[in-house]
Amino acid sequence: MSIKIDHISKDFGKTNVLKNISLQVETGELVALLGPSGSGKTTLLRIIAGLEFPNEGEGAITFHGSEVTFQSAYARKAGFVFQHYALFNHMTVADNIAFGLKVMPRRSRPSSARQKQIVQELLEKIQLPEYGRRFPTQLSGGQRQRVALARALAVNPQVLLLDEPFGALDAKVRKELRRWLREFHDSIKLTTLFVTHDQDEAFELADRVVILGDGEIQQIGKPDELRDKPVNEFVADFIEVE
Amino acid sequence: MAGIAQLNLPSGEDATRARIIARNQLARRATSDPFWMKAIVLTLSLGFLFVFFVLPLALVFQEAFRKGWEAYLKVFDDRATTHSIWLTLQVALIAVPLNTVFGLAAAWCVAHFRFRGKQLLSVLIELPLWVSPVVAGLIYVLLFGRQGLLGPWLFEKDIKIIFALPGIVLSTVFVTFPFVARVVTPQLQALGRAEEEAALTLGANGWSTFWRVTVPKIKWSLIYGIILCNARAMGEFGAVSVVSGHIRNQTNTMPLHIEVLYNEYQFVPAFAVASLLALLALLTLVIKSATTWFADRALRNAAL
Repeated sequence: MSIKIDHISKDFGKTNVLKNISLQVETGELVALLGPSGSGKTTLLRIIAGLEFPNEGEGAITFHGSEVTFQSAYARKAGFVFQHYALFNHMTVADNIAFGLKVMPRRSRPSSARQKQIVQELLEKIQLPEYGRRFPTQLSGGQRQRVALARALAVNPQVLLLDEPFGALDAKVRKELRRWLREFHDSIKLTTLFVTHDQDEAFELADRVVILGDGEIQQIGKPDELRDKPVNEFVADFIEVE
Repeated sequence: MAGIAQLNLPSGEDATRARIIARNQLARRATSDPFWMKAIVLTLSLGFLFVFFVLPLALVFQEAFRKGWEAYLKVFDDRATTHSIWLTLQVALIAVPLNTVFGLAAAWCVAHFRFRGKQLLSVLIELPLWVSPVVAGLIYVLLFGRQGLLGPWLFEKDIKIIFALPGIVLSTVFVTFPFVARVVTPQLQALGRAEEEAALTLGANGWSTFWRVTVPKIKWSLIYGIILCNARAMGEFGAVSVVSGHIRNQTNTMPLHIEVLYNEYQFVPAFAVASLLALLALLTLVIKSATTWFADRALRNAAL
């Protein structure tokens, strides 16, 4: 599943948040959107998920050749992981993970036995096999974020979008979870795009890094390329400062 | 905090404990008001509460039971009384669900959407709170009364609104509109949209997102809004009085019936019916405390 973004712009009122963005993410690739706050990276991710829509009449977004530019988020089914988890606090961990299965239309919905099986498999994948009956508020930040990931994966999304997934966690957990996510990605090979403002995180995790600044793509490249050959002052400055 | 700090100390560390207690006391003194000021403020507010709320409430029950249990219970054998109770229940049963739906819709719009005229909508939601209920009743008389704007047309079609159940329901809906919206809006705003967005990306449509995510999230404040709305719907006097016409056995709700009984010097029946409304108020108070506690806990959990 590839993602193709073709000349997308976005205005909020008079503010021009994204300017003429074009970007292609190949099937199975792990790409980081890196930039300072206010660079428009989260808005771009939300537009890909269908939580925001780009300016009309300019550009298009295609998932594996089919256009989804103005398709609603629930039809698009891009797995999305939020910075502050956005877990359903009134449901158990197992019910959180099963949510996407439970809201499927009847004919495609798995049986409840099958749902349980899927949930258990996912709980094992995120290394929390015994936690299904707990509530999100009883988990640590790192555990919650893994549950949020399992919840997104339960519906077999075409792509996985992560918005500052480690942003709310402390440094040690961040590092662990980062390594874990890389291994996890290698095992499932799902096309993944994640947003971060932390260049270490981007360079360690991603196959390719997209540097955003002032609503424009400044440079796209492998971590080494960016470090060795920054194309402009913005990129050089940004990498230097971090 | 002090209690927790002391409890967590291992036994035998008396010196540490004493130090911590001393420090806590010092901290308490530094941030609190002088004793005399606390005493005055507390006496004033408790005294006020007692004189204006507790005493009258107690008096209602005292008057209702002045001639004993049997006289109290006999009040409810009267047909006009039972009819007024039934009418009040009918009105609440129609008005409260309507305003729950309207209130939720309004709260949703104000909390989640940015649109032109949003400020106006927020003001309109509160309008019934600062318009006198009598005026609210008069609006409907002017609209639907015999001499009103739509009066002749309604008369032709033989539809009765004023001096009938529809008029009472309409004015009650008007007066009780703000309660659900005003309680739910801040809760919706505080909890944000992230969970709803998560549900959308998981393939849930708007309808199931609302029922599976939003309603459970705000359920305590929603329940609070509903009981508040209900208490007002059952107790409303002014607006209903204007449109009802005070027809015994037909359009007298409980509050109107109480007034009629009182004016006829039937004190035990008047206070007996009043005691039902007072009980409703007490029940509302209990549910309110419980739901606020649960709603606060939900907010705290969301913030963790």
